[in-house]
Amino acid sequence: MSLFSILAADPAETHHWLFPETAEIIYGGIASVLVIGALVKFAGPQFTKFLNARTERIQKELDASANDLSAAQTDADGIRQALGDIAGERARLLAEANTQAAVVLADGRARLTVEIAELEARATADIKTAAARGSDELRAEIGRVAAIAVDAVLPTVLDGATQQTLVENFISKVGASR
Amino acid sequence: MSDNRIEGYARALFEIARAEGSLDEVEDELFRLARTLESNDALRNALTDEKIPVARRQGIVEDLLGGKVTGTSVQLVSMVVGSGRGRDLPAIIDKLVKRASSAKQLEVAQVRSAVALTADQQTRLAAALANATGKEVNLKVVVDPSVIGGIVATVGDTVIDGSIRTRLDNVKSRL
Repeated sequence: MSLFSILAADPAETHHWLFPETAEIIYGGIASVLVIGALVKFAGPQFTKFLNARTERIQKELDASANDLSAAQTDADGIRQALGDIAGERARLLAEANTQAAVVLADGRARLTVEIAELEARATADIKTAAARGSDELRAEIGRVAAIAVDAVLPTVLDGATQQTLVENFISKVGASR
Repeated sequence: MSDNRIEGYARALFEIARAEGSLDEVEDELFRLARTLESNDALRNALTDEKIPVARRQGIVEDLLGGKVTGTSVQLVSMVVGSGRGRDLPAIIDKLVKRASSAKQLEVAQVRSAVALTADQQTRLAAALANATGKEVNLKVVVDPSVIGGIVATVGDTVIDGSIRTRLDNVKSRL
């Protein structure tokens, strides 16, 4: 049986099986109006009051939520600001540390440069002193050895003729010195 | 010993030698003795050691000089040593020589030579020194091996050094 066949009016009935009868409609309508009127008169204010209270409660909840949201936003702003401050402080500290490190590095380099220069100068002076001392010692040793050799050899080398020559040269030199 | 005492002894020796008529020989002999004393520590100590009896010291003088110098020189040295003035003998003799030279209007020229000089060389050297210093000189020659070669002449404050020793010392200093 199709839906259309079910909905189709039965010609044997006084009215359609789906719709009430006219009187039923009238009485039912009046009863409905009376019931609705009673409801509007007696239950309406209570319902309105309930709705108003509910609206008010919801509004309060909305306001509280808005306040919470505002507070949360304030807190979030504070946190963000704090984060920004921390980042700035971090950047400042890093910059200050970098500056101090650069100063310390520059001072260290300058000090090292001076110390290296001093060490080089001292080393150069030490080398010169050692060289001079060595040269002096060598010269003194040569002189000492030469003196010993001369003292030992010269008296044997100076024979009588040489001695006389020295004497004659002295006499000639003194005689011509005036 | 004070200069006055040395001068007094020198004057005494001078007068005795001049009185004996042997001043030239005595001053020459004593001059050489003084130089010997300066260079010989053992002899100088023997003549000045007060632990040695005076007679013994005078005996050393006579043994050392006897027969080699005039008797006057021996007696004069013995007298000084006997007086306990042996330590001042070189200074006394130098004063004596200076006094003797002054008496002859001469300046003492002390000459140190490595070898002995001949009479001719001494004459020429005296003339050369007189020419160089402008003073007549009384030449006193001392043979000093330490000179090595050449001559060192001292006339008053003037020193004329032609010795090998000094040249060697200069070379050593430069070295």
